[in-house]
Amino acid sequence: MAEPDAVQTFEDGLAEIRGAYADGLRAAGDEPELRLINARYVGPQGDLTKLLKLMPKLPGDRRRELGQAANALKQEIQTAFDDALEGIHRGAREAELTGPALDVTLPGRWQLPGRLHPITRVRNEVLDIFVSLGFDIADGPEVELYENCFDKLGFPPDHPATDEHDTFFIQGNRSSDAESVLLRTQTSTIQIREMMKREPPLAIVSPGAVYRRDDDATHSPMFFQLEGFLVDEDVTFAELKGVLTLFLRRLFDEHIAVRFRASYFPFVEPGGEVDMSCVFCRAWEGDRARTAKCRVCKGTGWMEILGCGMIHPVVFENVGYDPEKYTGFAFGMGLDRIAMLKYGIPNIKLLYENDVRFLSQF
Amino acid sequence: MLVSFRWLQELCPVDADVAEVAHRISLAGLEVEAMDEKGNNLSGVVIAEVRAKSPHPKKDKLTLVTVFDGEDEHAVVCGAPNVPEPGGRILFARSGAVLPNGMEIAPRKVGGVESNGMICSEAELEIGAGAEGIFVVDSENAALPGVGVADALDLHDVILDIGLTPNRPDCLGHVGIAREIGVLFGVGYKARKAAGPHRTFAAGGSFDSGEPTTKLTPLWDTGSEMLDTPELPAISIEIADGDRCPRYGAALVSGVKVAPSPFWLRYRLHNLGIRALSNVVDATNLILLEWGHPIHGFDLARLGGSKVVVRLASDGEKMATLDGVERTFTTDDLLICDGEGPVAVAGVMGGLDTEIRDETKDVLIECAYFDPRSIRRTSRRLGLHTDSSHRFERGVDPEAVPRVLASAASLIAELGGGAAATTAIDRVATAYEAKSIRFRPDRASQLLGTPVSKDESLRILESLGCRIVEHNDHALTAEAPSWRPDLAREVDLIEEVARVRGYEAIPTAVPRVHPSEAGTASLLKFVDSLRDSAVASGLYEAINYGFLSVDDLRKARVSTDAVPLANPLSEERSVMRTSLLPGLAAAATRAQRHGATEVRLFELARTFHPSDEVLPREDTVLAITLAGQRSGWIGGEESFDLYDGKGVIEALVDRVFGQTPALASGEVPGFLHPKRSALVTLASRPIGFVGEVHPGVGDDLGLIGRVIYAELDVPALHALSEELGPKQARGLPKFPAVARDIAMLVRDQFSAGEIADALREASKGLAESVKLFDLYRGDQIPDGHRSLAFRVTYRDAEGTLTDKRVDKVHASIARLASDRFEATIR
Repeated sequence: MAEPDAVQTFEDGLAEIRGAYADGLRAAGDEPELRLINARYVGPQGDLTKLLKLMPKLPGDRRRELGQAANALKQEIQTAFDDALEGIHRGAREAELTGPALDVTLPGRWQLPGRLHPITRVRNEVLDIFVSLGFDIADGPEVELYENCFDKLGFPPDHPATDEHDTFFIQGNRSSDAESVLLRTQTSTIQIREMMKREPPLAIVSPGAVYRRDDDATHSPMFFQLEGFLVDEDVTFAELKGVLTLFLRRLFDEHIAVRFRASYFPFVEPGGEVDMSCVFCRAWEGDRARTAKCRVCKGTGWMEILGCGMIHPVVFENVGYDPEKYTGFAFGMGLDRIAMLKYGIPNIKLLYENDVRFLSQF
Repeated sequence: MLVSFRWLQELCPVDADVAEVAHRISLAGLEVEAMDEKGNNLSGVVIAEVRAKSPHPKKDKLTLVTVFDGEDEHAVVCGAPNVPEPGGRILFARSGAVLPNGMEIAPRKVGGVESNGMICSEAELEIGAGAEGIFVVDSENAALPGVGVADALDLHDVILDIGLTPNRPDCLGHVGIAREIGVLFGVGYKARKAAGPHRTFAAGGSFDSGEPTTKLTPLWDTGSEMLDTPELPAISIEIADGDRCPRYGAALVSGVKVAPSPFWLRYRLHNLGIRALSNVVDATNLILLEWGHPIHGFDLARLGGSKVVVRLASDGEKMATLDGVERTFTTDDLLICDGEGPVAVAGVMGGLDTEIRDETKDVLIECAYFDPRSIRRTSRRLGLHTDSSHRFERGVDPEAVPRVLASAASLIAELGGGAAATTAIDRVATAYEAKSIRFRPDRASQLLGTPVSKDESLRILESLGCRIVEHNDHALTAEAPSWRPDLAREVDLIEEVARVRGYEAIPTAVPRVHPSEAGTASLLKFVDSLRDSAVASGLYEAINYGFLSVDDLRKARVSTDAVPLANPLSEERSVMRTSLLPGLAAAATRAQRHGATEVRLFELARTFHPSDEVLPREDTVLAITLAGQRSGWIGGEESFDLYDGKGVIEALVDRVFGQTPALASGEVPGFLHPKRSALVTLASRPIGFVGEVHPGVGDDLGLIGRVIYAELDVPALHALSEELGPKQARGLPKFPAVARDIAMLVRDQFSAGEIADALREASKGLAESVKLFDLYRGDQIPDGHRSLAFRVTYRDAEGTLTDKRVDKVHASIARLASDRFEATIR
């Protein structure tokens, strides 16, 4: 049984919703408000939804017509909603594009990486150069036998050549017996260890911590050396010069001059030291006045950087190589010193204090 | 070693300035480390004559002096007690002169009297050590008032500081360096005879009849007056140990008068760093600096039994050395003794009793050759490093004994006004044998990488003093000179050729490097990748010393079973570290003291542990420390906690392995918080640990707040990486995933991880992942409980999942949660 009132109510409802929805849309300022309005009429509890629930009460002959009217309104509302939403989006984008810029000075939001220690950085740079030349990397123990640190390297017994190696001994090992245990004073121990283990040809670089009993303004009781050596048939002093010149130019500057001076290390002969143009006053640029004032090279234009030489036949004999068949060269450098030169670090102690304010600079 | 350029020029004149000479010898291995020009810092200081002197009116220690400086007379107040009488000459610093110590001379009042200038002492002009009085010019010096002091006293010189390598004892005297200059400049060096003494005597009965002697007369360049042989007891020399003392010579000078040395000698010693004492002692020092061969003067009157015995000490034997210290010897120490007991430590230092004194008249001069190793051991044992031991332990020239004795005897006789015996005792226990060395120019060419001709080799080796015994086209045999103990084998001579030619003259070449098959050990590359990953994970690299104190270990509650040093520099660095914790904790403490809010450090280094092997075990460890606050984005800082440590470890390991490690309960070190720490595992294998530092340990280490510490076992990680090998690619999923959430209220005793694992296992292989996305405690949650929410992602590799199937599985895992974990599903 249809009720004429129901028809009236339904029709009024549709009209009222149409008007109210339009008013609501006009009043909505942003997307959430818009969605709220929408929900009020077409949401599950919305007015239109409720109205549609009255459909069964409508008289049969009007039901179809009124149902179509209701659907039309629903379509209308959907279209109006879509248009209004798009309008709001367009307005917001327009406002963002024309409005004030973000404060780009606020901090970035990411976990920054840490930093390698300057000694490691320099070590990596040096290793990269030698690895690119075909050298392998090796290492060995920091606590060593006297014979690997001295005897086998050709240090004569009771000889002042060991004076520069003021050695830390492990308790119970104070003498210079071959079996005495000590903290290695040089990475040259790797020459012995690798040569005892392998047959030529060998091309090896070996970085690592070494220890000497020196602790003053310019010495640290632990520091880092890098040893390199090449053993093969017919290795020459000219090649030693070639490799080290190339290395220093790659590491510092392709224009630096490199100079070889005679010197003495028991495990090489001929032995030498290598000077390069002072990298502080950039001596190779020829500004004499600048070099004259340079504190680092004391006006000489040169700085000592490496020790080197042809591996002494006594070393080959000690490891069981035939010194008539094989020749080789070896060189050593202080990684601390190179780090200090490269980064302008004034004091070696800074390298081992692990002050975060220092470590974060590199 | 300090060297006088002027003296070098006297010994071997070359046409080159000091800079050129310094450059050439530096390149050849005698590195000139510094040059100090003498006599150019005294402008305004002149010779002046005393014209009048009178006491100061008020102060009785001062004298009023009128001096004439060649231009004007000046009134000066002088505090020295030895102002000469009028006519005497002194050194006068005019007003305006600047003394070497920087003091500027200006007119001033002294005790109320105007003083215009200053009368100087040696010390004030830095030309000697004399500071007791002013310098009075010798009457033999003819310099007139007004002449600059540098010219008047002949002060011009350049002192070179040469850093000598220990293989070149020949260059520990001016003669040796002059010889080197002669070689390098191609001018040759000719050993010259010593200036002969004015008065000599025939030794005759002064030496025991059995003593082998050598004539000194041919080594002197002038004839001299022969006096009668003085009445002296006959001297005898005995060498009891011919290995330790192959040669011992002694010369005799009689009738000396011990007095201060003349200025030229004192000035030369002063410039070379030796304090002038008396003519006889100064002469022995000058001979040492000239020849590089230490000599010693004994007061003959105090040599008991007129006898010298060179022997090893008996155990516990004692003697007071020149420095006044009583020394105790072992049977490894060589002594010089007289008829009664020790009078000198051979080659190291003389004895107190027989030293030269003011009343010494007759001097026995020792010049010997001792075994270098013996001298070195004694010198080290006694902690007595002297100019003498420095040279003997490097090896002096055994064949130089007669020449050095001739020079010494002449100089001492001349300075002391005595007479020298024309012969000296020269006892040889073990004769010197020159080493014969075969040298092949081809070998030199091969080693140097540049042609070396036989002619060039001969020229260089001969210029160095080698005697060429024989030679043919392929090889030569050379005898090394007696002053070059470093030349023993072919390669030594090759170095000489390279050195004299100049390393600069050798070309450069690039070698062919044979790449090895093995390449660098994978462990080393792995270590580098860990280090890089640590940095990428936000950590700063620290490097600590390998040694620390036992107390550091104890405070950190790490193993105190450490490798101890026998001779540490200090207690603070007396054992090798057994853990990286103390070093990193110290760095964190320091950073906190400096106000750093966020400390993120790692160290990749070795720890050391006693072992049954000869060498201790060295473990490579990666350790991490986080302290302070993790910074949020603008404010919002929160203290680091366990999960930051876990996050860093996860990031670090994941970067290297492409796989995330897990934390598992297990036994962690005692320095970690028992309830806030865990083992780290990867592929179910333990690889380290992470946790908060135990609050008690933190207190002992001075750490503020909760500090996170973690360690990874580098070799274990490396072994695992070798074992796991490279990651293998997996096919991409073909069918879509479905996500469902499950939230539950559960007691704290159940860990989120075990619940997630159980959920996954219960899913019959459909749950691809189970991730915790919410954790809540608070209102409405009973004590001891928490609310956990997981997102379960389901996927079937074989087909698309239906809602129905997912609902069923999801319901079954919810049941499992409520059954096994007594969870209330929400």
